[in-house]
Amino acid sequence: MAQEVEETMKRIQSHKGVVGTIVVNAEGIPIKSTLDNTTTVQYAGLISQLSDKARSVVRDLDPTNDLTFLRIRSKKHEIMVAPDKEFILIVIQNPVD
Amino acid sequence: MDGFQSKLPPGILPHGLPQVKEVQPAVTQVEQEKEKEKPKEVQELSEEEKQMIILSEDFQRFLDRTSRIVERALGESVNIYSDYTGTMDGEDGMDEKSHQRLWLNRWFFCDRWSRNRCVTSMDWSPQFPELLAASYNNNDDTPNDPDGVCLVWNTKFKKTTPEFIFHCQSPVMSTTFARFHPNLILGGTYSGQIVLWDNRVQKRTPIQRTPLSASAHTHPVYCLNVVGAQNAHNLISISTDGKLCSWSLDMLSQPQETLELHTKQSKAIAATCLAFPYGDVNNFVVGSEEGTVYSACRHGTKAGVLDSYEGHQGPVTGISAHAVQGGIDFSHLFLTSSIDWTIKLWSLKESKPLYSFEHNGDYVYDVAWSPTHPALFAAVDDSGRLDLWNLNQDTEVPTASIVINGNPALNRVSWTPSGLHVTVGDDTGKIWVYDVAEHLAHPRIDEWNKFLYTQQELKHNKADEELHKLNLREPTSLTSIPPLLATCPLR
Repeated sequence: MAQEVEETMKRIQSHKGVVGTIVVNAEGIPIKSTLDNTTTVQYAGLISQLSDKARSVVRDLDPTNDLTFLRIRSKKHEIMVAPDKEFILIVIQNPVD
Repeated sequence: MDGFQSKLPPGILPHGLPQVKEVQPAVTQVEQEKEKEKPKEVQELSEEEKQMIILSEDFQRFLDRTSRIVERALGESVNIYSDYTGTMDGEDGMDEKSHQRLWLNRWFFCDRWSRNRCVTSMDWSPQFPELLAASYNNNDDTPNDPDGVCLVWNTKFKKTTPEFIFHCQSPVMSTTFARFHPNLILGGTYSGQIVLWDNRVQKRTPIQRTPLSASAHTHPVYCLNVVGAQNAHNLISISTDGKLCSWSLDMLSQPQETLELHTKQSKAIAATCLAFPYGDVNNFVVGSEEGTVYSACRHGTKAGVLDSYEGHQGPVTGISAHAVQGGIDFSHLFLTSSIDWTIKLWSLKESKPLYSFEHNGDYVYDVAWSPTHPALFAAVDDSGRLDLWNLNQDTEVPTASIVINGNPALNRVSWTPSGLHVTVGDDTGKIWVYDVAEHLAHPRIDEWNKFLYTQQELKHNKADEELHKLNLREPTSLTSIPPLLATCPLR
């Protein structure tokens, strides 16, 4: 099972333009990462806060609704955030061409 | 503003008046940040704790779900910042495509699971037409990996990795979606077992398999098909010892029915491929290793082999029953491909081929009728050639053909249910998806009538040819002048 997790991480990482993949738990603590420790901790903390905020925005607007996916386009990267009940998957991508 | 405010009764402050508050000293902000940072440092999981979380089922399910979404999102290369007001980048690829008939769209390849594995069969999901299941043979370079692999690819999203990965102990020779159960996939293996995978469970190994016993198959299963309707359907499998088993998907522990397929000399038929005519669940055609094609039926007073169709000089590699319904019924037509370098067109009503396509210069491995056009079919051969034949246009040369880069041997060909793409599986584990031009894929209204006319023309040509042969043979049989004999073709 752990092997399949490794395989999935590797598969995502192998996509063109992917810079890093991080899995964070609900408290914003990194569980798995392909980036170095300081970057991981920084991303994990900030993104989980943003994701919490985004989720509360969605829920405040409509209590029956929930956040499923979050994409942040910036000049340099695109950050994709797939939040779940207990974990968050973060993928940082350099947009190709 | 001032005039409006001055009209307010005394004692009531106009709203919008700036409230003056004390600015909090900067020191406390820094202190607050420090306070925030402190617990962060404490919260770090040990390797063991991390491993515990990773192994939990919740985590597995989470990663399986989210990785799928992220991969699809990653595959999308649409540039939402397109600016059409600026100058053009000079991409006139579309113009080039407009006069092409067949062009490469993409390919499916998985370095881990499909490398060096020959594609043995392909099938499309009836519920989700974008899903393609492909089975793979074993990889000689990795003896420790499972021999049999079945991957489900998604043609809708541009992600390059398989949607589902399944494997089993024996090489998978044939695969099919379990038609009325969108989540089940079946595989026929080299050992003779039939395996069943379920994409709802977090498991890559089969959830069910048939027994390896004399009551079922003990030879490789190259033929697998689900036939019937929602409430009464069966899985039909034939192994190379000529044994046909009919299974209920609810009970794979033993076949519901078995039938031995024999030739007239009561020799077992080594079935290599199977096809059911459109809409038929009882009659079917099988290609065999010795080159003969047999028609047979499952039920009735004469269950078993009905007729034989002789013509091929080598093993039959692929068979395809006419698949398009229209004003005229062509369901009696079928195509076969063979190692003898030919493709033959047959009718169930005649024991000799209607026509033999002798354009290929190598083993022809597979052939498939278009699901939308009554006179169109695709064929692939050992030299990396993909041919599209539109019989209403030409019967001597293919309408469109392409040679795949690197000349891989192409083992399987299949159409998407829309008829707009052909997928080709090669012997190195790659599946190539080709786009077919719309004017080629979509039939005009008169195409059915035209095809009937084409068939008649083929029949006339054949009659003429035979007459011609007889005329040639006559002088050789009548005259016995030795020098003339040498120049006359005997057949």
